[in-house]
Amino acid sequence: MIVRLALDAMGTRFELVLHGGDEFFLRAVGEQAVEAIRDEHRRLSLFDPASHISRVNASGAARSVTVDRDLFDLLATAAAVWEQSGGAFDAAVGGFMRRWGHRGAPADAGTLAAGFGAVRLDPDRLTVAFTDAGAALDLGGIAKGYALDRAAGVVRAAGVGAALLHGGTSSIAAIGAPPGTEGWRVRLKSGRGELCLRDRSASISAPSGRVTEAGAAHIIDPRTGAPVEVRGESVVVGESGALADAWATALVVTGDRPDRMPPEIGSAVRVNDDWAVSPGMEQAFRALAPGETDRELDR
Amino acid sequence: MTTDRRTFLGTTAAGLAGMSLLPIPSFAFDRVGAPARIGVIGVGRQGREIMGELGKYEGVQVTAIADADERRLESGVRRTTGAQGFAGHKALLERTDLYDAVCVATPTHTHLEVAKDAIDAGVHVYCEAPMESTIERAQALVRAARASGKVFQVGFDCRSNPVYTLARSFYRSDAVRDLVNVFAQQHSKTTWRFPSNDPARERELNWRLDPEVTLGLAGEWGSHQFDTVSWFTGRYPASVRAFGSIRLHADGREVADTVSCQLRYKNGVVMDYDATLANSYGGRFETLYGTNAAIKLAQTHAWMFKEADAPTQGWEVYANRQQFHNDEGITLIAGATKLAEQGKLREGVGLPNPPLYYALGDFLKSVTEGAEAACSADEGYRSTVVGICAAQAVVSGEEVAIGEDLMKVS
Repeated sequence: MIVRLALDAMGTRFELVLHGGDEFFLRAVGEQAVEAIRDEHRRLSLFDPASHISRVNASGAARSVTVDRDLFDLLATAAAVWEQSGGAFDAAVGGFMRRWGHRGAPADAGTLAAGFGAVRLDPDRLTVAFTDAGAALDLGGIAKGYALDRAAGVVRAAGVGAALLHGGTSSIAAIGAPPGTEGWRVRLKSGRGELCLRDRSASISAPSGRVTEAGAAHIIDPRTGAPVEVRGESVVVGESGALADAWATALVVTGDRPDRMPPEIGSAVRVNDDWAVSPGMEQAFRALAPGETDRELDR
Repeated sequence: MTTDRRTFLGTTAAGLAGMSLLPIPSFAFDRVGAPARIGVIGVGRQGREIMGELGKYEGVQVTAIADADERRLESGVRRTTGAQGFAGHKALLERTDLYDAVCVATPTHTHLEVAKDAIDAGVHVYCEAPMESTIERAQALVRAARASGKVFQVGFDCRSNPVYTLARSFYRSDAVRDLVNVFAQQHSKTTWRFPSNDPARERELNWRLDPEVTLGLAGEWGSHQFDTVSWFTGRYPASVRAFGSIRLHADGREVADTVSCQLRYKNGVVMDYDATLANSYGGRFETLYGTNAAIKLAQTHAWMFKEADAPTQGWEVYANRQQFHNDEGITLIAGATKLAEQGKLREGVGLPNPPLYYALGDFLKSVTEGAEAACSADEGYRSTVVGICAAQAVVSGEEVAIGEDLMKVS
């Protein structure tokens, strides 16, 4: 039996597919998972003036802001990926996003902006502070995966053996596998690859909107604070959805895998028609040539 | 031209409320008067909500939490800046050095035991609403609260809601004129069920579905909305009849997932109340219909819908309005004058925080500044009684009288 739930959060649609034998039990579990996602939406939203992120952004340049352990650990994770990716993933890119009109409002060249280099985290006091008034947290590149981590934790703890959760089709948490299969099969929207996931999280980062006829798109490169042209996509697979999200965001900017990326996190990066797939991704990812389809998936 | 008292009151109070005497809204990240340390007992969904809202106040720290569920306790601690976790409320209450006050967010039928232990420990108490699941137990809690000499606030949060406070000032200024009737609802498509692989634990978690202890939808949800109406009108119903059935969640439960209540007041006013777990349309709101206007209250928003023949007041020309099918509602904005001066009137439509935030803010003011409790034990008791009687009416199918003697605690 399959039970499906859905909600709108973090500017996208989350869907949950739970498999098991007791419909009422599955729905109750799904509701708890939905509530976990809603909770993170309330806490991490950039657009809700009462969210924890808004609180930090409002005061972080003036003084140290104390946050709870969960939020601090998430920011510490973001800091680690920022450092390891050479700044290609940046959770303080809010000012740049607004400057270039990437957050719904018109572009404003006068917006103050500074990246994660202006963020100070104090692990002893659980505080966040900005050394530059232009710094603004924007967890859009990690929040969906983090919320799915929490939701998947709820589903696992309840003992549900097979479930697929996704946020906006780009962040995915797979629990177990549908009966008789090796894993949850997911095809990339580009048609250039497919995933087979079992007890793994995945994130797919591909530019959307503003795509030229040549297939190029402009996204913000946090290292320069300016838009760059991207002609491909990135796929990251690992245990943590938050890390998968952050690294997928970084790889679509860099176009290749940084040396310091943790080896246990798998990646596949496509630039134009060429995929670069990291070792260990054979089970989880298969590249498809243009026009090629997977017969099993199509069936 | 002569002006009768009603017209004078209506014009003056509404005008003042609209233009100059509005409560300034408490936006996010307020400071309270002095630092406060809070303990939270019960960190299920409501307890976590409480912790989240407390975390928005500068100078306020959750320093201790208690929950019998190890997993919830662990995740609850992670939502603090270093609170000490306790496996039960008694252990927490042995460490009153850690906090100035506690919030009680345990199941309704445990409030007496937990809150009374907190009172006996000599700390201020914020007790979630409804107060208890039986009249006798609620009365016992009122007596304990009265004798405590400490702050005791019941979590009927409408009384702290800035938008409701503003709407109430309009209601009290006679803007609606004579009250015709009231309609309120809470619709949400949800199971009300918490999953667990352990049957014993599942029963504990699902106390709201346990017919032996639950007040069901009429009591758990309805009592909050009954309190709103009583706070506005200053009246309590004299009787209630109700119906309940299972419309969607036929999972073996006995507690109705859909209820319809009719509460009758001595002055002839009737309040109709619907609650369901089977459909979410319309969400939660209360509407008071008067001969001059209707006021609709929806947690973070409120509107006034004037009759065509109702007297107009100058400030309405500048009011923000919202269309509802064929009706146009005047948006009631807390702090409108100040926001208008800042050119931010539109930003004031809707509260930035949930009502719980403001209720906890009032509690913190009581704890740190000695302000009177926003909802005292006696006030909370009366709306709890209405909820208990409504719950009894749902179960019995009989009309239940709410005698004046029930409303008093000796």
